[in-house]
Amino acid sequence: MRLWRFKGLSMTYFAGIDIGSLTTEVVILDSNADMLSYSINLTGADCNEAVDQALGQALSRAGLSRDQLSFIVATGYGRVTIPFSDKKITEISCHGTSAHHLFPDTETVIDIGGQDSKVIRIDKEGKVLDFTMNDKCAAGTGRFLEVMAGAFRVSLEDFGQLSLKAEREIPISSVCTVFAESEVISLIAQNQAREDIIRGLHSSVVNRIWNMVQTVGVHGAVTMSGGVAKNRGVVVLMEEKLGKPIHIHTEPQIMGALGAALLAKRHFLQEK
Amino acid sequence: MSFAQKARYNFMKDLGAPALMWLRQSQRKKRPRKPNPYLGPPLKCAGRLREIMTRHYYLSRFSKGAKPVAWVTSGAPVELLRVFDFYTIYPENHGALCGAQKKGPEICSEAEKKGYHPDLCSYARIDLGHAFSGKTPAGRLPRPDLLFCANNICQTVLYWYKELSYYWNIPLIIFDTPYNFQDIREKDIEYMVCQFEEMIPELERISGCKYSHDRFMKIIGIARESASTWGRVLATMKHRPAPISIFDAFVHLAPIVSLRGLPIALDYYRILLDELEERVAKGIGAVTNESKRLMWDNIAVWFKLRDWSLLFAERGLNFVAATYTNAWAETIHYLDEMSPFESMARAYSLVVLNNSLNYRLKLMEQMIRDYQVDGLVILSLRSCKPYSVGQYDLRRLLGERLGIKSVVIESDMTDFRAYSEEQTRTRLEAFFEALEV
Amino acid sequence: MTKTQMTRKDYLLDQKQKGRHIFGVFPAQYPKELLWAMNVVPAEIWDPPVEITAANAHLQPYICSVVRFGLELVLEGKCDFLDGFLFPHTCDSIQNMASVIHDYIGANKPCYFFYHPKNPHGKAAREYYVLELKNLMRSLEKQLGPLNPDALKQRIQQGHKISSLFGEFYDLRAKGELDVGNGEFYEQIRRGEYLFPDDLIPELEGFLARNKGKGEKRLMPVILSGVLPNPPEILTLFDELGVRVSHDDLLIGSRRLLVPPSNLKDPFKQLAESYFSMPPCSTKGAPIVKRREYLLSLIKATGAKGVIFNVVKFCEPEWFDVPNLTDELKKRGTPTLVLDTELNQGLSGQMKTRVEAFVEMIS
Ligand code: SF4
Ligand code: SF4
Repeated sequence: MRLWRFKGLSMTYFAGIDIGSLTTEVVILDSNADMLSYSINLTGADCNEAVDQALGQALSRAGLSRDQLSFIVATGYGRVTIPFSDKKITEISCHGTSAHHLFPDTETVIDIGGQDSKVIRIDKEGKVLDFTMNDKCAAGTGRFLEVMAGAFRVSLEDFGQLSLKAEREIPISSVCTVFAESEVISLIAQNQAREDIIRGLHSSVVNRIWNMVQTVGVHGAVTMSGGVAKNRGVVVLMEEKLGKPIHIHTEPQIMGALGAALLAKRHFLQEK
Repeated sequence: MSFAQKARYNFMKDLGAPALMWLRQSQRKKRPRKPNPYLGPPLKCAGRLREIMTRHYYLSRFSKGAKPVAWVTSGAPVELLRVFDFYTIYPENHGALCGAQKKGPEICSEAEKKGYHPDLCSYARIDLGHAFSGKTPAGRLPRPDLLFCANNICQTVLYWYKELSYYWNIPLIIFDTPYNFQDIREKDIEYMVCQFEEMIPELERISGCKYSHDRFMKIIGIARESASTWGRVLATMKHRPAPISIFDAFVHLAPIVSLRGLPIALDYYRILLDELEERVAKGIGAVTNESKRLMWDNIAVWFKLRDWSLLFAERGLNFVAATYTNAWAETIHYLDEMSPFESMARAYSLVVLNNSLNYRLKLMEQMIRDYQVDGLVILSLRSCKPYSVGQYDLRRLLGERLGIKSVVIESDMTDFRAYSEEQTRTRLEAFFEALEV
Repeated sequence: MTKTQMTRKDYLLDQKQKGRHIFGVFPAQYPKELLWAMNVVPAEIWDPPVEITAANAHLQPYICSVVRFGLELVLEGKCDFLDGFLFPHTCDSIQNMASVIHDYIGANKPCYFFYHPKNPHGKAAREYYVLELKNLMRSLEKQLGPLNPDALKQRIQQGHKISSLFGEFYDLRAKGELDVGNGEFYEQIRRGEYLFPDDLIPELEGFLARNKGKGEKRLMPVILSGVLPNPPEILTLFDELGVRVSHDDLLIGSRRLLVPPSNLKDPFKQLAESYFSMPPCSTKGAPIVKRREYLLSLIKATGAKGVIFNVVKFCEPEWFDVPNLTDELKKRGTPTLVLDTELNQGLSGQMKTRVEAFVEMIS
């Protein structure tokens, strides 16, 4: 039994929790679907602890307590581990929902996360029509860029900027992360301009994603979500391929949690 | 087939293509390549080969409408198609060409975009990618009127040609060659002969030509001659030093694959053979300082051909034998005018890849002896299951029986995204150390 | 103890005790009836629960796991009690594995090879199939003594019976009138991979009698395509999500089990006719159109909301067909999901997400 029924509060609140393997995000919405707060935390080894922390943070930012939440949707790989969620929904549906909510003309969502990437096709109502995900290997994910940035000893943020500074592109042929790393090391040893190599690495990721985009087909406007959407190097190359600009939210990482919160609201209303 | 298209084709064949060849030739003369100290003088024939193959791909553009066009697998009994005057395109050879020009990944990804898994044979992915996107370094390939597929090299070609057939709605003729788990059996031959009988009316319908037995006999004769001449070309490598290397043979293989049964292939191999015999007489080797002789197992790694011929030549290593180049010399000479269909069934079903691994082991043992081979490079190709499954045991057994040194390297023949330079280098260097070169 | 309670291994040992010959049979299409008639129990080897270690010394990592598991089983000596092996010519990998076992490793027992035609269109193929059957018979006779023609007829009858029972399985499943979990359904289907017909028939009949009836709780019908329903966890996940596999186009499933009966007199011709009228299969060179039509007919008949292609990683015959099939189905409004699976590896988080998202999508 929820407290608000006793208190007779007219305001209801919803939470979306996205537990990824690297980070956990929480978004809190009110009944108008306005975002009250969000939080981003590292998931770490203990999923439940991360969720408690992230949820606590978001709640305190919104000035709410947990029992004021009417409906909680969990998404992401860790969705099954949360004992208190009202529903579990995959990140595919969540990203589709939030992309539609933020940019209603969206029909294609490209989500590049740390461990995997997906391309989602949605209809004009935000319902998923088709989707594809990367195969097991890390090529075409944030992880690939992270490993490569490590090889250059630069931060991920700088990595994308460096790619934009390239004068030309040195193509990286290997797709396998391990092979690519040794390829990069030998290019560095050959004294190739590092911007050019970095651009090649970004192209390699974009090409992988582009193949996935093609299997689903490009329709309508394109929205990008996931941490990698913050990397300008990837976004610029992808826009070149698409021949059109991409919608990106200021916090692309929280799109999964936002979608979950929106779906929380929808399910709450349906069940009521 | 319209008259205008035929006229255009003939014009191009007699005048356009030679003019183009002349043009290319004169351009090329201006920049001769620097001789490499580790490699013997380049083959004089190489220019002629380039001419023949360029012409083949160039003319193919005009063949559509002038001649019936067939896409054919490398192990298909093309002699029969020649009777009906098909212009034949070999997607596998085209795949090799794309590979050599380092276009593999780009064209493959055109197929991957359509959902074809990157684990599938890269010749198939290149071909499908080409079909979807039109991308090719060969200008343009004519769309086929017929797909002709023999599964004596693999079942993959069957799956692949089925896709093309569906995609373009073009007839597919399958020549099914039962795998020889042990010896070939009479009923297998009967089955194959029956299939020939079944396909002739189909071929007549598609081509609009009547079957002519005389023509078939002539073609069989030429094909057999070409194959035995090719066999003699390869056999020159038994000499020390070998006048040519397997890396050259990979390139000079093109006519016997793509133009088998046509006089031009036979003429070419006669010229090549003359040149090689002359080299043998003069003691000219493909590698200046031939110290050890190697054998290659599997298809070539097309994008590495040039790099590797140098890498090995620098150490005085020459490849003198390969199961792959041998495949077109091995059985086609069985062709016999006295029993054309039976002999053709035999010739095509007894190729190395359609035989048991025991056969392959014995064949390799024999070749190692005949060609005085000191070391074996086994290429494990993720594209090609029939060529690659069993190689680990093959290596072990050859080592046990003949004490031969060997190395296994992993790659793909065209898709260099699945290749690691560093890893391969390390393995090869260890192999060189073992060979003490 | 009933046959179902016995483990597969115990059952096979028990059969051996009874004087039957036990053969290890690799995938996929082979004339069961002929083996039965020669008193052979074919024990099929698809995805045995072993850990792949020894096979890694013989097979490259890019070979499918059916072949790797099969070879592992042989190498671990778990096939030592068998009286022979049969290798149908299913694909390049099986073909070469057969040769590796026969020529390089040594099986220490008779090895038979069965070539089924890949050019299924002409008369030549049918005649060849009959000859290949007789050839297999003659080779088996050398080991096992002469075939009793009446036994063959009887086994063919049993074969018909089994197909019609499996037909009933699928019909009830389509209508939602077989109230068992997806896992249990396939467990039962897969008993056909080792039970002798004398035991299989009562087993299937008993199962039908026990479970026939309405009350199916899994309301979302989907078609499952691919080679086999592995990892088994995927079937449990279907149960949890309310998904019912309403029919399949699996190589271990309807593609092999729904064998139309033949009325021809000659038993060999009968077997051939049945063989050529089975559902289309990639390992028999079936054209894409036929497979597309077959899938569409299954969707129509069962009201399936989507098709899931659970494809074994590196399986060439299947992977080539997937793009055109998914494309055609999508064009006709049926959503599809393609999974790239390694056998016996459980469900990764990502695979789970894919399946769940797919179910959310078609709900
Ligand atoms: S490379 Fe191998 S699998 Fe591919 S077409 Fe050639 S023989 Fe077949
Ligand atoms: S899964 Fe595919 S590749 Fe593997 S054995 Fe079966 S048919 Fe062959």
